Amino acid sequence: MSASTTQALEYLEQLPGATHKRLYQQPSTALAVFRCMLPHLAKTIVMAMLYMTGPFPVHDLDAWIRTDAKAEKEKAISVLESLNIMAVIQESPKNFSYRLSSGFANSLKQALTGGGNHRSFGVPCSTPDKNKVDIAFLDQFARKQWEAILYYMVGSTSGLRDSEVLGQSVGNGTRQLLRMGEFVSVLHGVKITKTGFTFLLQEVNAQVWSLLIVYLKQAPGLGMNEVDVLSFLFMLGSLELGQDYSTANLTATQLQMLEDLNDFGIVYRRSKESSRFYPTRLATTLTSDAGALQNATTDFDNALRSSRAGRGYIIIETNYRIYAYTSSLLQIAVLSLFAKLSTRFPNLVSGKLTKDSIQKAIGHGIEARQIIDYLSAHAHPQMQKNNPVLPPTVMDQIRLWEYEGERIDTTNGYLMKDFNNDSEYRDLVNYAESLGVLTWKSDAKRLLFVDRIEQISQYLTNKKKRPDQ
Amino acid sequence: MNAIDATDRHIKSTDGPPPSLLAIILDTNPHAWAHLSSILPLSKAVASLLVFINAHLASGNANEVAVIASHSQRTHWLYPTPTLPTPHSTSTSNGHDANGTVPENANKYRPFAVIETAILSNLTTLLNSTTASSLSATSTTQISGALSTALSYISKSHIRHSPVDPTINDHSTITTPDTDGILGQQRVSLTSRILILSVSGDLANQYIPVMNAIFAAQRQRIPIDILKLAGDTVLLQQACDATGGIYMAPESPQGLLQYLMMGFLPDATARRALVLPSAGSVDFRAACFCHRKVVDIGYVCSVCLSIFCIPSLPDSKCLTCDSHLSLSTTLTVTPALIPRKKKKRKRGPGESATPAGSSTPAPGSGTPTHS
Repeated sequence: MSASTTQALEYLEQLPGATHKRLYQQPSTALAVFRCMLPHLAKTIVMAMLYMTGPFPVHDLDAWIRTDAKAEKEKAISVLESLNIMAVIQESPKNFSYRLSSGFANSLKQALTGGGNHRSFGVPCSTPDKNKVDIAFLDQFARKQWEAILYYMVGSTSGLRDSEVLGQSVGNGTRQLLRMGEFVSVLHGVKITKTGFTFLLQEVNAQVWSLLIVYLKQAPGLGMNEVDVLSFLFMLGSLELGQDYSTANLTATQLQMLEDLNDFGIVYRRSKESSRFYPTRLATTLTSDAGALQNATTDFDNALRSSRAGRGYIIIETNYRIYAYTSSLLQIAVLSLFAKLSTRFPNLVSGKLTKDSIQKAIGHGIEARQIIDYLSAHAHPQMQKNNPVLPPTVMDQIRLWEYEGERIDTTNGYLMKDFNNDSEYRDLVNYAESLGVLTWKSDAKRLLFVDRIEQISQYLTNKKKRPDQ
Repeated sequence: MNAIDATDRHIKSTDGPPPSLLAIILDTNPHAWAHLSSILPLSKAVASLLVFINAHLASGNANEVAVIASHSQRTHWLYPTPTLPTPHSTSTSNGHDANGTVPENANKYRPFAVIETAILSNLTTLLNSTTASSLSATSTTQISGALSTALSYISKSHIRHSPVDPTINDHSTITTPDTDGILGQQRVSLTSRILILSVSGDLANQYIPVMNAIFAAQRQRIPIDILKLAGDTVLLQQACDATGGIYMAPESPQGLLQYLMMGFLPDATARRALVLPSAGSVDFRAACFCHRKVVDIGYVCSVCLSIFCIPSLPDSKCLTCDSHLSLSTTLTVTPALIPRKKKKRKRGPGESATPAGSSTPAPGSGTPTHS
């Protein structure tokens, strides 16, 4: 599971079980959920259980997974249960077993064997297109659309002269969407928000998902069917770049979506009446590794080369000097959010990270972590040979500059108190810790603070049901 | 909040496990499969294998697969098809190359379809090209060749995946002799393993090349997993043991798919969290260099460590290194058996551990000093 799909997973988890059930009817959805939403160990467990004849007894699973990997196991099982992929069933008073949801298992089997007649992996056009477009054109189109969105967001803040003009081509629907997702505020002209900055510094794959999730959330309000929207997105992720697909099998909701997705640059249609559409690279990489995708702002041609090489462009030295091999206005605009740029050459921008520039960025709501993540994600291949990628002194200093400004950190969450005895308290602390939701605890007072409660309460109910564990 | 110190320096990678390359060696020895056909026909085994490959590809978005058939007299690439100039795993390049041949099917995930078509057509080619004369020539399989092919493909993929673009500084990366040191320093960008689906026995006649391949795999930390459906176990079990792979010899080969899914699907990342099946007792016997026989007790050349099963070598010379080695003389002499000295009774607590009169120098006295 990569970072880019974490938010998609969070969205999926909060959907009701009935929605999950309907989603899993499509093999393409089941496969996409398996491929990109599950933690690694969960995939192993699902695959081991997929062709098992009976349910998997709980203690057999415990015996299979090493004791020192308990945290990963808890995480895997809690994700599987919250997505309604796997459930605990009681076979006899003492025996509990895991069982895959039959809908998911059947769909995944169909996806693996290619059987059935569900036509969920996209229906290619049978007739050749008169005006066929090639992959280079699609990349060009996707980049133009997506960069326009980013320009629109970053435009006013970066202070670059020609950036506002570039953002003008963004459609009204997209602008509204950006406002709804609180990426920009339009009180006095377009101004980027803290969420917007987070969005901007993400990898392009994560950006696409962020935008799509905002889209998903407002879909029911527009009379669109959530399941249709989601399964269409997952289907897009399994399509082939450069192939034209027919719109004949799509539902009304999905046809409506095509228009919006065309605006984002995720699919390409020549006209609104066209009976065929082309997925772009933004679509085909929706459910695949973010690493395999070239950042939309760098040259798309590079994406065709081998996966990891040649994607970074930034070099940072231990004296805080920064050299960025780029001529893209957008990248320069992003860099100028937190670096003091001084010189620009045809293919190179150079500047410096200063206390002022970093603290200005932090004032805008960017976090030090985001800056470091961005820098290391886009580090030049020569820098990527180092471990850690960035010079440690630079990373520490960026954090220290941020730390200067904030002495208090707030987390919303839930306080758990009044435990009956110490073992009950310890058990819950350990569970919360393994889920990664534990924020604070006090052993003396038997108090703990968690930032998410759903899985904890589920755990407590389960525990009540089986006192032996 | 207070975590700004040296320990927090490493960026937590949220990227998930590194992509995993699985090289599958399918033993297509016709004799062995004919023998097995009543229990598990080849077609069924291949079908199970295809599902397994799809499951592997689904487990990680950048996962890759390579399939090699180890036939009776040669090895044959099943996937990627060798005529491709650059066998990339990305769906784009596959799509380009196979656009004409892969039928469009809305019921199948396209990357799966591409691989399946390639494997099946290559396997058909291989089976059609097998003649009766080539069958009668040998009854075993070219496992050593397949292993070396897999190893070279893996190391090529490693170079392709390294963070530095291989096209920029081709020479320094490829021609560096000691790859071990380099790989250790680089961040792990690709984990690889080899799975051998073996049905043939009688592999002792390839003892030397197979052992060399095993050592190469051991050095590059590539586990070799073995799924042994039939035949004897000597050599391959050692391969697993030396490289840290999984060895399984299922009693009921009909359940091949479940064995594959549960035992062999977890990659290196997942294996760290799992209790792995153990091989039990490993047969460490070696095969001799003169007749390729598995021996319990053999003779070893004192210079080059070659193993021989008979003492009478021609000209009393080692077959490998040509040094003088008269093994027959050793036979006549019965090895003298020196009875072990009984240990003295327990020493008192204050006594020195060094027995008196031993050659170990006392501390301080025998330290050589530089004048």
